[in-house]
Amino acid sequence: MILEKVKEILVEELDVEEESITLDSKIKEDLGADSLDLFELISRIEDELDVNIDEDDYGKLITVGNLVDYLTEKNK
Amino acid sequence: MIYTEICKLLNIKYPIFQGGMAQISDAKLAAAVSEAGGLGVIASGNSPPALVKSEIHKIRELTDKPFGVNVMLLSPHVEEVSQLFVEEKVPVIITGAGNPGKYMRIWKEAGIKVVPVVPSVAFAKHFEKLGADAIICEGTEAGGHVGEITTMCITPQVVDAVKIPVVAAGGIGDGRGIAAAFCLGAKGVQVGTRFILAKECRVHQNYKDKVIKANDTATVVTGRKTGHPVRVLKNRLANQFRELEKNNASVEEMEELGRGKLYQAAVLGDVVYGSVMSGQIAGLLSKEQSCKEIIVEMFEEAEKIMKNLAGGNNE
Repeated sequence: MILEKVKEILVEELDVEEESITLDSKIKEDLGADSLDLFELISRIEDELDVNIDEDDYGKLITVGNLVDYLTEKNK
Repeated sequence: MIYTEICKLLNIKYPIFQGGMAQISDAKLAAAVSEAGGLGVIASGNSPPALVKSEIHKIRELTDKPFGVNVMLLSPHVEEVSQLFVEEKVPVIITGAGNPGKYMRIWKEAGIKVVPVVPSVAFAKHFEKLGADAIICEGTEAGGHVGEITTMCITPQVVDAVKIPVVAAGGIGDGRGIAAAFCLGAKGVQVGTRFILAKECRVHQNYKDKVIKANDTATVVTGRKTGHPVRVLKNRLANQFRELEKNNASVEEMEELGRGKLYQAAVLGDVVYGSVMSGQIAGLLSKEQSCKEIIVEMFEEAEKIMKNLAGGNNE
């Protein structure tokens, strides 16, 4: 399940509680990621979910929901 | 003679890049470094494309050796400048202060060598995948825009993570630094602060004097909250930043404070209220020399050290 995996990675990379992560959580503003964190996150997601996230799409990934939808699309 | 993959890749005599420093490294300095056998680098900083173009033309009049251009990815002109590099067919692009991912394709298609500066292993691996020819891993000891990790720590980790050659930057000011970088697995070095003291460097004499007077504790990192912190020599401006940070000022207020301040220091010579960007190694540096003297001295010292290490000489 993509959401479960994303939550697991967010918890480990950003040191946040799983309960605090909702689909509406903004990755930077709510979960406290800075641009270096974001990059580490994306790299890890690419490795663990075996997906390639386009540079041009980074800007679209504002909330956890955006990220999950994006990965779901890529998985099809 | 220290000759590595970096020399072969870029067709230079010594595996040394002169760091791209906005308002400081222009065609004249870069040409002198290239003529001396290193890779001179023109810094585009926040300059508009017309100015960058004229520097590229200037360096081509001054030298036919390879040179690099540095693109500062926070620049408002980054799109046009990136395109300009392709039109001008520059030999090497060094990227800093951000993620050049979206431009790498057009640069690589144009046959340009691309060497990004990275603050972490994840970035290094990512750019290797995108076709970077080499990586500069820059430690927090460096001047200007810096990451968090030290050169000592980031270099071996990036060396382990990628197959392309790694250039170490941050805190290298003499032959000992070069030897140390090579011990950590680097195949080349990037040096910034020491070249501020080059005779061919046009920065204001006040700036050079402040670098010369600096000791080991003379620098501080300001603006961490903005997401793009810079290392500078302590002065009134740095104190003002510290006050803003203490009082939880907004990112906008901090950016406003910094606006135009590098120009104020580097060109106008106001080293009290201007931004005097410099690496921690400033404390080691005291001589103004030509680029050729700098490079030859650094590598002679490095070779001697490395020979002694190999020979187990304990004198």
